[in-house]
Amino acid sequence: MNVIVCIKQVPDVDDIKWTKENNLDRANMLSKINPYDEYALNFAIKLKAKFKEANITVISMGPKQAEEILNYALAKGADRAILLSDKAFAGSDTLATSKILAASIKKYCPDFSIILMGQMAVDGDTQQVPLSLAQLLNIPELTNVSEIYNADKNQAIASVKFDSKINIYEIKTPCILALKQECEENYIPRIDDYIRAQKILIEEYHLDDIGLNKNEVGVIGSPTMVYRAFRPEIVKDTQEIKQDYAKKILDFLLKVDKK
Amino acid sequence: MKKILVFGEINLEDNKIEQVTFELISKAKKLVFEANNLKKDEQYFVEVVFVASYLVDDEIKKAYKAGADKVVLIKDSAFDVFYSTVYADAFLEYFEKNPAEVILFPATIKGRAIAPRVTVQLDTGLVADCTEAEFIVKNDKLYFAPTRPTFGSELMATILSKKVPYCATIRSGVFKAEFVYCDNGEFFEYTPISYHEDRIKLVRSIDDKEKNVVDFSNAKVVLCGGYGLYANKSDEYYKKLKKIAKITDSHFAVTRKVVDFNLAEAKYQIGQTGSTTEAKLYVAFGVSGAIQHIQGMKNSKTIVGVNIDENAEIFKYCDYKIVADAKKVIDDLLAYFDIKQ
Repeated sequence: MNVIVCIKQVPDVDDIKWTKENNLDRANMLSKINPYDEYALNFAIKLKAKFKEANITVISMGPKQAEEILNYALAKGADRAILLSDKAFAGSDTLATSKILAASIKKYCPDFSIILMGQMAVDGDTQQVPLSLAQLLNIPELTNVSEIYNADKNQAIASVKFDSKINIYEIKTPCILALKQECEENYIPRIDDYIRAQKILIEEYHLDDIGLNKNEVGVIGSPTMVYRAFRPEIVKDTQEIKQDYAKKILDFLLKVDKK
Repeated sequence: MKKILVFGEINLEDNKIEQVTFELISKAKKLVFEANNLKKDEQYFVEVVFVASYLVDDEIKKAYKAGADKVVLIKDSAFDVFYSTVYADAFLEYFEKNPAEVILFPATIKGRAIAPRVTVQLDTGLVADCTEAEFIVKNDKLYFAPTRPTFGSELMATILSKKVPYCATIRSGVFKAEFVYCDNGEFFEYTPISYHEDRIKLVRSIDDKEKNVVDFSNAKVVLCGGYGLYANKSDEYYKKLKKIAKITDSHFAVTRKVVDFNLAEAKYQIGQTGSTTEAKLYVAFGVSGAIQHIQGMKNSKTIVGVNIDENAEIFKYCDYKIVADAKKVIDDLLAYFDIKQ
């Protein structure tokens, strides 16, 4: 069974830095694997432990630097890593990104059973790529997945939190599962894992390889464009309480209308 | 006539229209007025489209009152079960015969699943989770210009689309539903060819209550403990705060870091990956104010922060700030109750 995990390198949102012009200072921000993608990767590793024949391919689109998270994924237990990197990909919105992923998967990993991915990325937070990819590959999907109970070549059984319900679905492969919950297992790779991972060569593919036209990717291929970006101003008129702290909090607690 | 289309959402349990749909209709109506003012030669109207097995008359009336000029029902009994593929394909079949300039989808679980399937097939853009929307005129052309938060709300971006239809998902609770228009309008029922989804099967549905979750959606008072309450390698102060919450009939909550360090259960977590609250009173004890946490509580009415660091990020969002050791304040609060009891 071939399992694909799509991963994205994101800036650490705990460490946001701004340039003087109020742009994100990406060059000086730490980068890491998108936490939701790590949940997906952990579930893939859990599936592999259960079904020895499972084979995990991690795919990431990004600059050369994204090799860091691919190496991390290999050290954690992935078997194969693909980097989709090309200057022409820069500025891709969710539609263009999904087209790049779909074309690459069709060409380099067509015999997959399941694609696991994070429900969202913490930097963009659109939640659109899993669905767009499912549509482009013409396969079914489950989103907001909290647990994967079983998976084989034919089907997966997974649960989804939906309003106040937990729904358990059987879904035929090939399919996409987008993870929202942490996996109870999270293996932190050790030095020897990284040494082992170094033996696996990261495959790198460019625009020409995947067979898309440059008008379909990047800024040109993206139907959406940022017209303006600004930092929201916080307009709180904060009053400082300088004494009788506990008493003041108690007053707030007593005064609040609980109806 | 040009059209702003609202994708209507129905609760499958009681077959009533979800509140977010009315919010989107009222916003669409305002956008129509805006567009009609900016370009007098192009007149817009609001159409709301439901993919459902049926709709009762009273609910349709409410849609008109919220601002819909036309209500469309794409009708089939297959829609009693939700599948993104089935809903998207039925909607597209209708849409291709009845196009619109703008489509607004609710940013709900269902809306978020349908919208990308629709826009990918139309090969157009989709702007996610918008919190504002307007029309702008550029080179004598009218553009729909939605704005969305990104980077955990640290940055707002207004995003245009090069292609039509202009599509966006809009969060619930952002715009106000206003039932101020007349209660009738055009109605159209559309019967699609039938669609099936035999690749997915719902095998079981369990009440989430078994999973022991805390419902913060109706919490009036939330007392939240951050990592600043951690002392002497013990969860003592989280327990103390929980006790105060119990005495005062409030909700006890914590931040992500507290859960990560196993000092409280995940069900109490407020923030991007936990629950969201719009409490009347939110008191943060020893909370630094990471943006993911702010996401989950910033819409609370009165926010009080207690932190020993006078430059703590949380204070930017507070109505009242207290620069003090939150642990000491908790002890003082407990002392009040001990006297009374």
